[in-house]
Formats: sequence, C-alpha cells, structure tokens
Amino acid sequence: MLSLIESTFASLAVPIVGMVIPSYLSFKALNGKGEPKALLAYWVCFAIYMQVTFLFETLCLHVWVPLYYMFKVGGLCYLVASQTNAATKLFDKYIDPFLKTHEEKIDAKAQDGDTSLYPVAILIDELKNDDIQLRLNSIRRLSTIAVALGVERTRDELIPFLNESIDDEDEVLLALAEELGNFVEYVGGSAHASSLLTPLETLATVEETVVRDKAVDSLNNVAQQLSREHLLEHFVPMIRRLAGGDWFTSRISACGLVAVAYGRVPPATKEELRASFAGLCRDDTPMVRRAASAHLGLIARAVHACAERDQLHSALLPLFQQLSTDEQDSVRLLAVQNCIELGKLLSLAENHAAVLPVLRTVSTDKSWRVRYVVAERFCELAEQMGPDVTTAELVNTFVALLKDVEAEVRVAASFKGAGFARMLPPELVLLHIVPCVRELSKDSSQHVRAALASVIMGIAPLVGRDATIEHLLPLFLQLLQDDFPEVRLNLISTLHAVSTVLGVEQLSHSLLPAISELAKDRQWRVRFAIIECIPLLAEQLGVEFFDAKLGTMCISWLQDCVFTIREAAIANVRKLIDLFGVDWAQASLLPQVLATHTHANYLYRMTSLYAVASLAPVVGAELLAGTLLPLALKLAADPVPNVRFNAAKTLRELVPQLDAATVHERVRPCLVVMQDDPDIDVSDFARRGLQCC
Amino acid sequence: MTSAGSDLDRQIEQLKRCEYIKEAEVKSLCAKAREILVEESNVQRVDAPVTICGDIHGQFYDLMELFKVGGDLPDTNYLFMGDFVDRGFYSVETFLLLLALKVRYPDRITLIRGNHESRQITQVYGFYDECLRKYGSVNVWRYCTEIFDYLSLSSIIEDKIFCVHGGLSPSINTLDQIRVIDRKQEVPHDGAMCDLMWSDPEDIDGWGLSPRGAGYLFGGDVVTQFNTTNNIDLIARAHQLVMEGYKHMFTGQTLVTVWSAPNYCYRCGNVAAILELDEQLQKNYKIFEAAPQEARGVPAKKPAPDYFL
Repeated sequence: MLSLIESTFASLAVPIVGMVIPSYLSFKALNGKGEPKALLAYWVCFAIYMQVTFLFETLCLHVWVPLYYMFKVGGLCYLVASQTNAATKLFDKYIDPFLKTHEEKIDAKAQDGDTSLYPVAILIDELKNDDIQLRLNSIRRLSTIAVALGVERTRDELIPFLNESIDDEDEVLLALAEELGNFVEYVGGSAHASSLLTPLETLATVEETVVRDKAVDSLNNVAQQLSREHLLEHFVPMIRRLAGGDWFTSRISACGLVAVAYGRVPPATKEELRASFAGLCRDDTPMVRRAASAHLGLIARAVHACAERDQLHSALLPLFQQLSTDEQDSVRLLAVQNCIELGKLLSLAENHAAVLPVLRTVSTDKSWRVRYVVAERFCELAEQMGPDVTTAELVNTFVALLKDVEAEVRVAASFKGAGFARMLPPELVLLHIVPCVRELSKDSSQHVRAALASVIMGIAPLVGRDATIEHLLPLFLQLLQDDFPEVRLNLISTLHAVSTVLGVEQLSHSLLPAISELAKDRQWRVRFAIIECIPLLAEQLGVEFFDAKLGTMCISWLQDCVFTIREAAIANVRKLIDLFGVDWAQASLLPQVLATHTHANYLYRMTSLYAVASLAPVVGAELLAGTLLPLALKLAADPVPNVRFNAAKTLRELVPQLDAATVHERVRPCLVVMQDDPDIDVSDFARRGLQCC
Repeated sequence: MTSAGSDLDRQIEQLKRCEYIKEAEVKSLCAKAREILVEESNVQRVDAPVTICGDIHGQFYDLMELFKVGGDLPDTNYLFMGDFVDRGFYSVETFLLLLALKVRYPDRITLIRGNHESRQITQVYGFYDECLRKYGSVNVWRYCTEIFDYLSLSSIIEDKIFCVHGGLSPSINTLDQIRVIDRKQEVPHDGAMCDLMWSDPEDIDGWGLSPRGAGYLFGGDVVTQFNTTNNIDLIARAHQLVMEGYKHMFTGQTLVTVWSAPNYCYRCGNVAAILELDEQLQKNYKIFEAAPQEARGVPAKKPAPDYFL
C-alpha cells in the first residue's frame, strides 16, 4: 500500500520536478534570461537518469529497494537544484570525457549510415516527384549517385530500382536511355556491363520513337564493351526476345542491334541472326520493314567485314531486292540509300548484276518521294555504276527525272544537273541535258527555275563557247528576267562562270541590258549581287564600254536609298580605279563620286566622306591633297554634327597618307577647331584625330 | 579613349554578333545608362536629322537588317519608339545593344518606353524567360526592368514632330502636362503614363474604349486638337502591326504609325519601315524585309545546368 502511494506520488513529482520546471527555465534561457549551458548539461543528465531508472523499473529491481520512489524523486531534485549545480558537475566530470573519447567513432558510424542511404533515398524521392523537371534532374545525375554507391551497390540496388521505375514521361525515359549508354564504368566495367541490358531492353520497347532510338544507340554502345561470352550469353538472347516481341516496337529496335553483334559471334549464331533479320525484313508491320531496310547497309557492312561474300550475296541481296519492291513507299525509298551502301561493298560487275535492276525499279517508282530520293542521290549512284552504264542508260533515267511530273523531283534533279553533266561526254550533254534545261527554264514552278539558275552556268564550260552562246545564253537571259528574285539572284552569283566561257562581245550585246534592268531591282540584295559582279564585267569589257554603259549605273548606286548598297558602291568604285587607273578616274568617275558632298541629305554627304576615306590610298598624292582633302575639310564645317564627326574620322585616316607640312598647316588647325565643337561626338572624334597628327 | 570606353566598344561589338555580355557587365552598363536617362525629359528634345523606328520585339537579326538599310550608329541618328523586348528570340541582345549604343553615343540615339518595357508584360511575353534561360538567374531581368523605369516617355523633334509609343491620353492636352509626370515607376494600369504607351488611333470622333484593356482609342479630331494646341505637324507612333511597314492616318496626315519588326513573330509576313527625317524634316520612308535565313544564327541552346549532390 505504501509503495502504491509512493509510486503515485512519484509519477506526479517526476514530471513536475524533472520536466516542467526545467522546461520553463529552458524557455527563459532561449530568450536570453539564464544559463543555457547548465540547462543543456541538465537535459543530458536527465535523459541518462531516466534511462537508468526506466531500466531498473523494467527489470523490477526497484521492489527490492525500500522507498525507491522517494530516492528517485530525491535524485531528480538533486539534479534540478541550482545551488548544487549537480548536473553541470556530473556532466563535466563523467559524461563529457566519456563522449569526447568516443565522439569520432560515433560520428563515423552515423556518417556511414548517412551516405549509404541518402543518394538512393533522394533519387527515389525525386523520381516520384510531381515536377517533371525534378525527375529529369535526378536522372541526369544518375552517374553521380552511382559513384557514391560504388559499383557493387549500383548493380545490386540502383539498376534493379531503375528497372522497376521505367514508367514515366517520355522526356524522363529519353534521359534515362541516354545516361545508361555511358554507364558501363559505373557498374564495374565491361565484365558487368550486361547488367545494363535489362533496363535498356525495356526502354527499347516503349512507344515513343526517340526513346527507343536512344535506347538502341545506348545498347550499341554497351554491346561494344561486352565480352564475347557475355555477348552470346546476354545480348543475343535479348535480340532474340526483341525480334520475337509481340508488339512492333521491340521488333523495330531489334533491327538496330543485329549489326553490332554479328561480327563477334560464332557461325551458328550468325546464321540465327541472319535468319532473324530476314524475318524482320518480311515483318507484317511496315514500320519494322522500314527499320530493317534502314539498317540493311550496316548489317551488310558487318557481313562484309567478316569476309563472308557468299552470305552477302545469298542472304542479304535477296532481302535488298525484296525491300525495294515493298508495298510501302516509305520502305522503298530507303532502297536508294541501300543501293549506295551495298554498292560500295560490291565490284562493278556485281553492281551491274545486283544493284542496277533495283535502281531501274526505284527510279521509275510510282511514288514521287522515292523518285525524289533517287534524284537527290543521282550523282553518287551514277558514279557507282561506272561511265559505260551512265552514258548508255542512266542519262535517260536522269532526263526522265528532269521531266518528272512532280515539281519537287524536278527541283532535286535540277540541282544535280551540272554535277551529272560533268560525268557525260559533251555531245551527250548537248543531246540530252541541254534540251531538258531549255524546258526547265520555262518551268511553272519558281523553285525549279531557281534550282536551275544556280547550276545552269556550271554546264557552260562542259559544252564549250559556241554551244553556250547558241543554247544556254538565251536561257540565261530569260532567267535573268524572271519574276522570282531568287532565280535572278542565283543566276547572278554564277556570273563569273559565264564570263570565262563567253567572249566580251557576247556579254556586251546580250547580257548587259538584263544587268542594267537588275541594277534597279526592288530587292536590295539583288542590286548588291549585281554590284559584286561589276568589277569582273568591267575587266572583261574594257574602259570604253564601261564608260558608255556601266558608269552611270555605278554612280547611281552611290545615291541608293539603302546604306549597304551605298557602301558596296564605294568599294566597287575603288576596285574600278584599281582596274582602270587613276587618270581615268580623275577624268570621268571621281568628280561624280565626290559630287554627293553637296547633297541636301546628310546621309549622302557622308557617303562622299566614306568615298574619300576609301579612295585615298589608291588615287595618289596629288589628287589626295588637291581634291579629297579639301572636300573633307569643307564638310568639317557642315551644319549636321554627324557629317562633322565623320569629317574628323576621315581626316584622321588621311593623316598618315599626307606629308607632314600639309598635316600641320591644313588638317591640324581644322581638328583643333573641331575639338571645341558643342557636340560631344564631334569633339571626341576630333580629339582622337589630333592624337594622330 | 579611356579603358572604360574601349570596354564598351568591345561589348557593342560582341552584342552586334548576337552574343550576350556577362551579368556583371550588364549591371555596370545599366548603372551608366541610368545616369544618362535620368537626365532626360519626359518629352525628350531631339534634333533633325533623325531616323524614327517602331517596335523591334527582340528580332535581333531584323534590327541588323534595319541598320543595313538605314546606316550604322553613330553615323545615322536614331529614335526608337519602344517595344525592344518580348516575342522575338533575342530580346536580351537587342535591348542590351541598343542600351550600350545609348551609353556610347547618348546624343545619337534616343530610346523611349513602350508598353512592353514593363515588369508585368515581360513576365508574360518572353523577356523574363529569356533572361532566366540565358543567364540562369533573373538578375539581368531585374537590372533591365529597373532601366525601363528611367526611359523617356516621348520625344519632340525640332518642336514639330511628336513621337510616342502608343498615342494620346484624355488627361493630356499639352506637352507640359507630360513633362510633369513622375515617370520613374512601373507602367501603371491607367492614367496619362499608361495611355501614352497603350492608346491607338482609330477612325472615330473623340475618344473610345480600347479593346486592349488599357489606354484609349482616339480619333482624328483629337489628333488635330492636340497638334494645334502644341503647334506640331505630326504624331509619329508605333505599337500596332502595319503590313506595309508604315501607315498615315486622318485627313492632313496628322499621324503616322511606323512598324520596324518585319515578318512579326517570324510568321506575320509583313514588311517593316523606318522613317528618315532629313535636316529639313523631309520625310523618307524606307521599307525592308526580314533578314534572309543565312543571315540568322541558330538560336543558342540552353546550357546544361550543373548538378551537385
């Protein structure tokens, strides 16, 4: 009975004495009114005291101690009482030294536990986050996590965990597929690379194409690092599973994996891989057949690398021929690529026997997309078939493509016009290609005409001067008048080619009217292209003709409304002076060039200053000091500040080209005046000019 | 030239190649720009000759095309009537280039504020995201939006041509009323400062409600009244897409809209215009088209962020 009263008393007293009072004191200490260290020491002691008494009571040892609870409360009072400071003493004397000696070990243990759990916990946490960006982030740092875990735990825990979690947005899966491709070193090198196959295999079967493609890329990466045994043991069965998959996505991925394995497996397995690939080429799903066709070249190369020529012929060529007559045009158009890929592995005779019939089929395919690809790769195909077949047969094929009903095919073929013509003897070019070009120059599609314009002059050197004048020049002139600016622009940029073939008189009589028309084109880029051609034309035509026909044009560009044209016009004038000499310039061109300095608009007055700076190095000392310098000095007093500081800029450039006396007597005083100009830019440029004097 | 000046010249060269400058450089550029802009009036006086340009909207390569047609700074004087940022791919480069040019040649280029030079609008229409994407933090956006508050509200060329981004306001009759606005603030939702940036001219009499939800529609009579009161000939403004690049309005051609973003948003198919005023205030419009594909760069890829465990 006594013990019951005692224990009731204790259960009331312990919290009041040991917890309520110290809690209140702690609250005060936290607000800066008390001794926090003593209280912390108390709480440590209290925890130990309670632990010990709890143990004592649990083991029922206390029943043997008379007045146990009295002692227990008494002990607490002793700890709490501030006069005795017992808790601090106990802490300082026993607990503190003990913990200090063991602190490091305890910390190390705690740390250890931390690193082993932390990364995976974070990863799991982030992979389940609602924010896709966070999930992506965690995938992107998989390698860091793997390093923290070490190779063993990466294999045993991380990879299995990833296997479980492949059920996410495509963006996350794409990142995962990419990361895993470079993961071999994190799972312990090539000996353990096979552990990566499981997650990648799953990724290679998902719905989204980019994820699958990336997974196949990564699998190819991993496969190259697998040992032969592992390749046979893990990789080939995986191909088998994928190729036999129910859903077409896995079969598509299988197509991309055969080539990498082929070279490193025994003959029996090779046989199996070939058979499996043949199955994929006959798959019911067009997308699988397309993938098979796309990888045919790679596999052929792998077979070729194993020196298995008979297999190439007996196994792969039939597949190639069969795919080229597939019912789907998206499969058939890949045959063109394969013509080139396979052709590279075969001799000329083999090419004629095996590839040429396929080429014949695809170039007359009923789908324009197939014919388009043929046109696009025609030069490569022709080169592969050799000159005999090209002149005898392919020239007709090409002509058919140039006359195709679809504009897209004609565009692609037109672009190849000059390239293919180069493979033909001139008489065949004249016989077959030139008539087509004539038709194409009147084509209803502007894109066809633009394509033709960019290559038509490439044909000129092949047929020689007379034929060019007779056949190509009229077309050339006609295209120069085209409504579509791109046609004109493409043509003009090849003007240098025509001048090497055509003589001066031909140019002057036929080409120039068209060019003067274009010199006024609404599009400033067309005008720009013409200006670029002027020095070349001038060189061909000579001074008299230039003065008569081109001179005014060149001057008019100096007053063009577009700044870039004015700039190009000045560069053009400089090139002309290089060409025809200073005397000529002084007599005809220069006065007109410099006349702009009285223009009412400041932009054109500045043009004359740009001309002065640009022409100064080429006109000689006399003209420089007598004509150019006075102009710059005059404009230094222009009412518009922009003209004034450009004058200062120009003077600065003239200084090194003038003799010291002129600089001192004429340039320097002018700049000194300008230095005090109210406009900050004028005075700044003048000051910079003076630094050069 | 001081080293600070040549540093600025280098930054201008860099920005002209469409490469953005460092965050620290933006900070000091903005500090210098603030010193210049704080001195400008709400109705900044500009001398002729000058070339007036409308909205640019971050179409950097089209701004380069504009300079190819109109001439380079400092040789040609320019006045840009706001909306430098948002919608285009290169708001950062566009605004920083114009700002750097302003700091380098304060007398040759004038920048006035458009409705897109605002914290609220740039957070919706792209400039905020672009800063975050290109710099990885919003500090550059903060520096720039702070500068927006200092941009002038309008300009008057030779006391004859009044330039403003949007248009007129019912609470403003004289230029002096604009001069007393405290402009150093975010664009408000209503009132005179808001109207100057948001209003549109319309073929109506008097004032109308704007479908934009800010500013007003104003008619030819309002423009005539304003021009007479203030003894000006023409109001030049931007703010509205014009397929032909520029458009005169009202009898007597009292107002013109100038639009300088060709193929706006890379898909509208419009041409752009600039208005060249020579020393005698003769008007000369120059039309230009979007920069051809080969003159454009590929938009910069987002740099891979760094991850730390």
